[in-house]
Amino acid sequence: MALPVIATRYAFFTGKGGVGKTSLSCATSLALAEAGKRVLVVSTDPASNLDEVLGTPLSSKPTEIVGAPGLFALNIDPEAAAHAYRERMVGPYRNILPAAAIASMEEQFSGACTVEIAAFDEFAKLLGDPGATAGFDHVVFDTAPTGHTLRLLTLPSAWSDFIASSTGGASCLGPLAGLEKQKALYAATVAQLSDPARTTVVLVSRPETSALREAERTRGELAALGVRNLRLALNGVFVAAMPEDSVADAMTARGKNAIKAMAAALERLPRTEVPFLPKGTVGLEALRGMGHPAGISVSRSSSPADIPPLPPGLDPLVAEIAAPRHGVVMTMGKGGVGKTTVAAAIAVALVRLGHRVTLSTTDPAAHVKYALDVDLPGLNVTCINPELEVANYRDDVLAKAGGALDAAGRAMLEEDLRSPCTEEIAVFRAFARTVHQGRDGFVILDTAPTGHTILLLDAAEAYHREVLRTEADMPEPVRLLLPRLRDPAYTRAIIVTLAEATPVHEAARLQEDLLRAGIRPFAWVINQSLLASGTTDPLLRERGRYEAPFMARVTQELSPRTALIAWRDTGID
Amino acid sequence: MKTLDVYDPAMCCPTGVCGPDVDPALVAFAADLKWAAEQGVAVQRYNLGTEPQAFAANPAVLKEMEAGMDRLPVIAIDGQIVSTGLYPTRAQLAAKLGLSAALPKTAPQAGGSCCSPKSGCC
Repeated sequence: MALPVIATRYAFFTGKGGVGKTSLSCATSLALAEAGKRVLVVSTDPASNLDEVLGTPLSSKPTEIVGAPGLFALNIDPEAAAHAYRERMVGPYRNILPAAAIASMEEQFSGACTVEIAAFDEFAKLLGDPGATAGFDHVVFDTAPTGHTLRLLTLPSAWSDFIASSTGGASCLGPLAGLEKQKALYAATVAQLSDPARTTVVLVSRPETSALREAERTRGELAALGVRNLRLALNGVFVAAMPEDSVADAMTARGKNAIKAMAAALERLPRTEVPFLPKGTVGLEALRGMGHPAGISVSRSSSPADIPPLPPGLDPLVAEIAAPRHGVVMTMGKGGVGKTTVAAAIAVALVRLGHRVTLSTTDPAAHVKYALDVDLPGLNVTCINPELEVANYRDDVLAKAGGALDAAGRAMLEEDLRSPCTEEIAVFRAFARTVHQGRDGFVILDTAPTGHTILLLDAAEAYHREVLRTEADMPEPVRLLLPRLRDPAYTRAIIVTLAEATPVHEAARLQEDLLRAGIRPFAWVINQSLLASGTTDPLLRERGRYEAPFMARVTQELSPRTALIAWRDTGID
Repeated sequence: MKTLDVYDPAMCCPTGVCGPDVDPALVAFAADLKWAAEQGVAVQRYNLGTEPQAFAANPAVLKEMEAGMDRLPVIAIDGQIVSTGLYPTRAQLAAKLGLSAALPKTAPQAGGSCCSPKSGCC
């Protein structure tokens, strides 16, 4: 059986960005529906592409999928959920309090935390309240990227602790204090998650070292939260049909080695494997193919594929970036497209041209240190580590404001510093600091997956407005952040994608979001191209041919300048 | 028993640590309120962002807000407004409450909102 077996009412698909959580959760749900069950698929990803994969426009209410009786899906849109929450809190006072008071209340409800928590609130309603999903045999969650998901999952216990230990009167849950009433619902949510008779968690991974490492990390963290009904689903397992093609051999060996090297605890989990498929996984037909891969035909013809003219490699791009002798480069895109590899390649190329370069990541699933084994003079690799940043921020605040306090006051301050907001703020400050370094040299930022990045930029916008209004004692890096991100001479945003349906679609959406935030992308990089790799393996070549129309769409419609990187065995994912 | 009511501007947390920059006056004021409560004062603190009903229900506070949002924070003792637009020091607070002298902690400061609205924190 290629798809994971789901015997419980609830199922979660989690894993590193780009491993195929959406495809696998949809294929599994479709198989359940075609076996006669009523199934609801839910996406909590702020950058959900459930609509595209299932081929039906969705909303925040269950919608039946065209061509799949019994299969329903919905998107939890965090922005919309936050808006609804804000209206619920502010609406009743609109004609009672002065307009300025209403405006200041609304401001309080427009930040990143409100979006995050409002989305979680929706999610808890589905999971903690059985009535909300009464009509379904199975509820399958296509969850957001790992770091984000884990934050969502750990929040309830963090809050339970926080609410229980709150001694300072008004707690720092701030605008979300209304949610304190939902404690029972959150407790029910955690209970559902850790009950093996009710919930299955599927760890989705590709046969790649970094994805498997991420799966093992998630397994450990879920086990610590008391979640034990776990399964491993390997997606895209490739075995060369005939030897002597270097790309196919390298890909086969890489997969085998990664599987052989996986952690023992991960290897002990019940495991299913979906083979490497020559076409994408968009649409019901493709999803059925994931469940019955033997039925997919591959053209075995040995004639060389018609290769269209391909974009150039990274060199022209690097030359343009190097010209002003300083600045910030942000590589952005959906998880799994290789932002880290591209950021590292640009950094190394700039160092080789004689520049000093800092390579930094804001990805919560930070793995930049694994992606770069070279030790070059002039290259400085740093990481924005949320835990470390929170610790530093806490020390800063205590040093600045804690000195004049008595023991009770200090205890209260420390309590506020344990609030969920603190991490967001601490990471934000570190991001601003890193961008500031681009004044004197090159800074290459490998940013977090799409949804998180947008939240970060939203926070930047909120800060920006706040800073203009108060002119308070603001650190220079924070004051200058948004103008710098918007200045094409200072910051070059590079969108990284793969030549496939979903990554290109996601990248186009990311570009729109960036344009809305006043940031015009400098270039696109199409990564890991099989078409450009020169492979003669029939399966890989068929997959390569499938890249051509997406490549054309990027170069002709979306990108001001494009670079192409061929698939090659970099030893990293 | 004396009652002390504080009507704060919309803010995220009473100490301000989740704003872009922490305001020591707010941290000190939060500690001073805790101290006052320990001296037997019934302390109530209302945040416009989360407890708008307390503001809506108090005509005197509403009147201050209509005069300008910079009148917040409004501080009332036994229902009488005793200060607007700033957070008093512990010594000023003690004097207004008729409590014995306490160590002054900070200079008076304009009442900026703690978790500065739009800070992106909440």
